[in-house]
Amino acid sequence: MSIVLEQSIAGRLLDSEPMTIQPNKDSEDKIRDFERQAIPLMPQLYGAALRWTRNPSDAEDLVQEAMAKAFVAWAQYQQGTNLKAWLYRIMTNTHINSYNKKAKDPSKGGLDNLEDWQLGDAKSLTATTSRSAELEALDNLPSEVIRKSLLEIPEEFRMVVYYAVVDGLSYAEIAEVMGTPVGTVMSRLHRGKKLLRVLLAEYAREKGYLSSETKTEKS
Amino acid sequence: MAEFDCEETKSLVHEYLHNELRPEDQKDITTHLALCDSCEEEYDLEVYLNKAITRSCDEEPPKQLAQKVLDSMRKSQQH
Repeated sequence: MSIVLEQSIAGRLLDSEPMTIQPNKDSEDKIRDFERQAIPLMPQLYGAALRWTRNPSDAEDLVQEAMAKAFVAWAQYQQGTNLKAWLYRIMTNTHINSYNKKAKDPSKGGLDNLEDWQLGDAKSLTATTSRSAELEALDNLPSEVIRKSLLEIPEEFRMVVYYAVVDGLSYAEIAEVMGTPVGTVMSRLHRGKKLLRVLLAEYAREKGYLSSETKTEKS
Repeated sequence: MAEFDCEETKSLVHEYLHNELRPEDQKDITTHLALCDSCEEEYDLEVYLNKAITRSCDEEPPKQLAQKVLDSMRKSQQH
């Protein structure tokens, strides 16, 4: 590939004959750029796709579809800007366009207007438990349980929690990826984590990860 | 003395953890956490919760996925 490149540069420099650039040179360059820059980000994209789709085979489809769109739009990506956020944004749109069409969830839409008390109160649920017991439970809960609990919270909250906690995106980046104001990112992160804490505390209490005396105190 | 009360500190714990506060506020929260057991517990809980979430989301993509993506890109370029 590098030989082809050198020859074409040499051809242009010498200008000795009409341009004889390989017919596929541009597309090879494009594929090479994309392969070098975008493909290494695929593990992260797949991680986020799993959170969107909630199962491995749909996640794989979503990544492939998003990558195909990103490749088509590659010329629009401005080199030097945040590529991961750009790809995540394409994946958000891909998911919303193709997957949400399949199953419109009527419960969606008013999530951000929910009051805190409607979401359940992590404080009241965990108030009877000592903090050290809750910390210990969090440390001991199987990853599978945490992963499933995360999938149970509404998608908009789940994705913000994922991007902030697992991926370490800034609030501004998440706002860009999700197409929402930063304030919405903030409140979804707070509420998402609160919901998750409630789910995990419930599970931990049921399965005995939290000491039994706390059971009687909570009605 | 820290300038944030307990309620404010607890509500800003996420932003503190994710480095989203102005440096002076970040410093004030650090001071408050150092002086206040109750807020420090809340902070610890969030740290543990973040750790738990992170450890649970560690799935690797299928090995052939990158190749599939590259193959379909090459295919699309041939048309």
